[in-house]
Amino acid sequence: MSNVLIAGYARSPFTPARKGELAKVRPDDVAAQVVRALVERTGIDPADIEDLIVGCAFPEGEQGFNVARLIAFLADLPNSVGGATVNRFCGSSMQAIHIAAGAIQMGAGEAFICAGVESMTRIPMGGFNPLPNPVLYERYPQAFVSMGETAENLAKKHGIARQRQEEMALASQQKAAAAQKDGRFDDEIVPITTKNGTVTRDGCLRPETTLEGLAGLEPAFDQKGTVTAGTSSPLTDGAAATLVVSEAYAERKGLKPLARIKSFAISGCQPEIMGIGPVLSSRKALQRAGIGLDDVQVIELNEAFAAQALACVDELGLDMAKTNLDGGAIALGHPLGATGARITGKAASLLAREGKKYALATQCIGGGQGIATVLEAV
Amino acid sequence: MAELAAPLLAEPATAPAAEPPSRPKIAKVGVLGSGTMGSGIAAHVANAGLPVVLLDVVPAGATDRNALAAGAVERMAKQKPAPLMSARAAKLIAVGNLEDDLGKLADCDWIVEAVIERLDVKQQVYRAVDAVRKPGSIVSSNTSTIPLTKLVEGLPESFAPDFLVTHFFNPPRYMRLLEVVAGEATRPEAVAAIRAFGDERLGKSVVLCKDTPAFIANRIGTFWIEVATREAIDLGLTVEEADAVAGKHMGIPKTGIFGLLDLVGIDLGPHIAASLLANLPANDAYRDVHRPEPLLAGMIERGLTGRKGKGGFYRMQGKAGIKTGAARTMEAIDLKSGEYRPTREVKLASLDAAKAAGKGEAALRALVEHPDRGGQYAWRMLSQILAYAASLVPDIADEVASVDEAMRAGYSWELGPFELIDRLGPGYLAKRLAAEGRPVPPLLAAMGGEPFYRVEGGKLQQRAVTAAKQPAGYVDVRRPDGVLLLADVKRASKPVAKNSSASLWDIGDGVLCLEFHTKMNALDDGIIRMLGKAHELIDGAAFKALVIYNEASNFSVGANIGIALFAANLAMWNDIEGSIAGGQQAFKALKYAPFPSVAAPAGMALGGGCEITLHCSAVQASAETYMGLVEVGVGVIPGWGGCKEMLGRWSTNPKRPGGPMPAVAKVFELISTAVVSTSAEEARENLFVRPTDGITMNRDRLLADAKARALALLAAGYQPPKPFALNLPGASGRVALEMAVDGFRQSGKATPHDEVVAKKLARVLTGGDTDVTDKVGDDDLSRLEREAFVALVKTPGTLARIEHMLDTGKPLRN
Repeated sequence: MSNVLIAGYARSPFTPARKGELAKVRPDDVAAQVVRALVERTGIDPADIEDLIVGCAFPEGEQGFNVARLIAFLADLPNSVGGATVNRFCGSSMQAIHIAAGAIQMGAGEAFICAGVESMTRIPMGGFNPLPNPVLYERYPQAFVSMGETAENLAKKHGIARQRQEEMALASQQKAAAAQKDGRFDDEIVPITTKNGTVTRDGCLRPETTLEGLAGLEPAFDQKGTVTAGTSSPLTDGAAATLVVSEAYAERKGLKPLARIKSFAISGCQPEIMGIGPVLSSRKALQRAGIGLDDVQVIELNEAFAAQALACVDELGLDMAKTNLDGGAIALGHPLGATGARITGKAASLLAREGKKYALATQCIGGGQGIATVLEAV
Repeated sequence: MAELAAPLLAEPATAPAAEPPSRPKIAKVGVLGSGTMGSGIAAHVANAGLPVVLLDVVPAGATDRNALAAGAVERMAKQKPAPLMSARAAKLIAVGNLEDDLGKLADCDWIVEAVIERLDVKQQVYRAVDAVRKPGSIVSSNTSTIPLTKLVEGLPESFAPDFLVTHFFNPPRYMRLLEVVAGEATRPEAVAAIRAFGDERLGKSVVLCKDTPAFIANRIGTFWIEVATREAIDLGLTVEEADAVAGKHMGIPKTGIFGLLDLVGIDLGPHIAASLLANLPANDAYRDVHRPEPLLAGMIERGLTGRKGKGGFYRMQGKAGIKTGAARTMEAIDLKSGEYRPTREVKLASLDAAKAAGKGEAALRALVEHPDRGGQYAWRMLSQILAYAASLVPDIADEVASVDEAMRAGYSWELGPFELIDRLGPGYLAKRLAAEGRPVPPLLAAMGGEPFYRVEGGKLQQRAVTAAKQPAGYVDVRRPDGVLLLADVKRASKPVAKNSSASLWDIGDGVLCLEFHTKMNALDDGIIRMLGKAHELIDGAAFKALVIYNEASNFSVGANIGIALFAANLAMWNDIEGSIAGGQQAFKALKYAPFPSVAAPAGMALGGGCEITLHCSAVQASAETYMGLVEVGVGVIPGWGGCKEMLGRWSTNPKRPGGPMPAVAKVFELISTAVVSTSAEEARENLFVRPTDGITMNRDRLLADAKARALALLAAGYQPPKPFALNLPGASGRVALEMAVDGFRQSGKATPHDEVVAKKLARVLTGGDTDVTDKVGDDDLSRLEREAFVALVKTPGTLARIEHMLDTGKPLRN
């Protein structure tokens, strides 16, 4: 069986939905520019690419029509490259990586671009035509539970006080601000050309955040609750992409790998506490990798909500000093379909940058799931 | 020049009516100075749909050389009340500075200067403008204090013919008065062009003034404020008492004198006074009433300059909080001590006496004759202002009607000074002045107790005034071409039909006008019956088309909810359902009638007032129309086709995304949050008004425009609309909306009864038990509306909302 490598990672700046610099840009145009840059930066021969797999949580409107195929055209990939759009909500583009890894191990292709995209400005969360099944809603309403409510549920169930959530949010903001200031995002960000100029910087960060400021916010989802806009990831526009190849191919072509994919896993849980998803999926992936959490020195845990991320930290016993080194989604933003590719690509590049052995990338998924990937230094 | 100096709204019958043939077109406007007035004027020109260049000086040491103008436009986007009618209008304003961008004025047809009130600065600007402007372009100043003759002194000879004064009132979008002053040398074409543009495009009431200090409105207005303040202090009235006395029977707007001072800025007073004292004739009565007021000087010193400062005569204190339930309290300043205290309810025997005396002349007379401080105050204030106004014609304007129009349009007085003299009695005023040993203005003395206005042969006439300030004969009050007022129709004719709620008027050319006249123009059975009568008359070929219009401040505030509460308290559910069904049938008949109907709303068109508009063949809306379906405020949903028609409009809107939900979700948002458009342009964005419907900037032209629209529909071979058949999402869509409502409820954005109402609304808008493959028509939706309405009226939450609204005029958040 061939080993699978992540041999490249790039993303657009992440900007706030509606008021950010990417609000007026079509998501397929953003994704195409990221894919094109990834091809250029890694030096891969595009004719070798088997498939472009794009994760997207609301694949309709400008993200419809099997947007992956259209992004391939926009990025001028050869017609020989395929295109598939994948939906596992927030886990969509990590799933794209998993699909590629599985195919490579099946011998069904050597090189894949696994990307993700979401314009939460242009395609509303929930889509244009939300039409839930009324019978299911009657019988099992939690199937459609709102994400904010799941965060409140976890905060209650795990006794995560508001102040602790705010401390995590502040830390995320501080880490992201420091990384931005020190230019640690420069390598991964692809400047996006728009009608109104070029967008080069992440726009969601709030470096001026203080504990006092956070403490003053009204609850966002439950007037008696603890979750606020400051402790939630913001609605975001953006795209991310990774290059996933077989180890043999990388050696043959002289590509510069970031990390090896050691294992991955999917797990399900109760929808009303979907944020706990990473616990089971991480355990499964670590077990499949044959390592323990102690062996992992780099962790990318998606911060859909501070309450949700802290529940996972407590349950798994994660070391915050190893987690989200350059900040997480509370600061950087969470363009649903793009986040999986971002945190997996980020974990791979951190492994290379920090010179560590193992990394874990994991996230929760609306509807009650978790997804996790274990990476190993090359 | 003689006819051009005559006021627009009241030209003498003998003046030639025809405009000069070659009126220059105004297609682009420049505004110089981006202060409150300059930016407000630029915004209003943009509201009229024209591109505007807004320039100001380069601030010292600025990185952005356009910072002043750009900052002004940015501020206006957030300002309330909004100077701009739509986001689209903001895009029509291009900003720049007076150093780099003068070239942008080269293709402007009209350039308005609104820079600082300094002659040298203004003249410097004119010289710069004159170097770049195109030949024949018009330049005007928004000065309120500097005479036109001084402004053009020493400027090139070619400048004066193109120059005039255009004096707007603050805020320019909302205040209807535009004072225009032409100089000796001003070209008649330039005056005609500005008059027409100001009237038709900017919607202003244009009044031609003489080149005298402060023109008309501020001359009388400043005198009034000074007298009103001083007398209140001297007679020991509280600010609340003074404002109550001025408001109720003299027709001063609700803000009152002190409220108005807070609004315009107390610190402006000394500047205006200084300018008037420097320019007014030596014997002007203002010199006698003016005196420096230590209280006001003290307030200015303490930064209490009104709403823009730390407070004024009134201020709001405390912090409102959703959680604490605390409300802000209103405080007023004590005119003796200068300290704030909570506002007090006004109790004056004079006001009670006026109320008991009835309306109009009797009430006003009872007020001014009452011996208490309220009565004394009313008399002293009124007698001084009215005598002052009577002494100024024809110095400031040739006609009394111009003075009245200026005060109504510029200061929002309900009646102008001469109308007030008529209400009080010209003979009474003259006699009492004489009895008190005070001078009686020659014009008033010579009137011999006859009124300034009369109706003769169905026409409103005013007393002409000679150059020697003597009354001459009565002459018709002339309206500008194209103005049709229902008030004039009513003077000249009898209604075609009438009941206590509504009337039908023949407005000529086969067009019938339905006028509401209930309290606040609330819709009731009488109005519905009169609509049926209109239908009969037109079916019987007596008329060809219908216009729905009235001249109250508000078109209609909704249906009469008092009747619904009464019926609900007696559990007369069948009556409630019957009344809903009756309205639905009447509106459906209107929509599918073989003749065209045009609704012409102005001011508020809410609830049922919005629904009747939605059923007309076309709408001609006043630019200042505030429209919305606000039924949820009283715990019900629109039952007279509001849900149905809005669904029909949004479903057939080509700009919406596909699928069954976007139209439903949009209409759900508009109705469940009771969105009220803040202009006709915004009503169009919300599809309360269709893209094909018309907007009229000048309220006085609304009826004529609506009538013309009805005639145009007839001429085009009017056909009623085809019934719509909508694919609505049914239960799946309802669940999606219910989920959203649950989220709002949990996050505290919706109250428990909001949830009840919104879920009923969700069922109506998603088509009840329909399947997305089925078609839903008018009658299906009417049935759903009716069911939901009756179900809601049976809930205690809705009854509590209706009762609370009737008691307090405010919505209950239960």
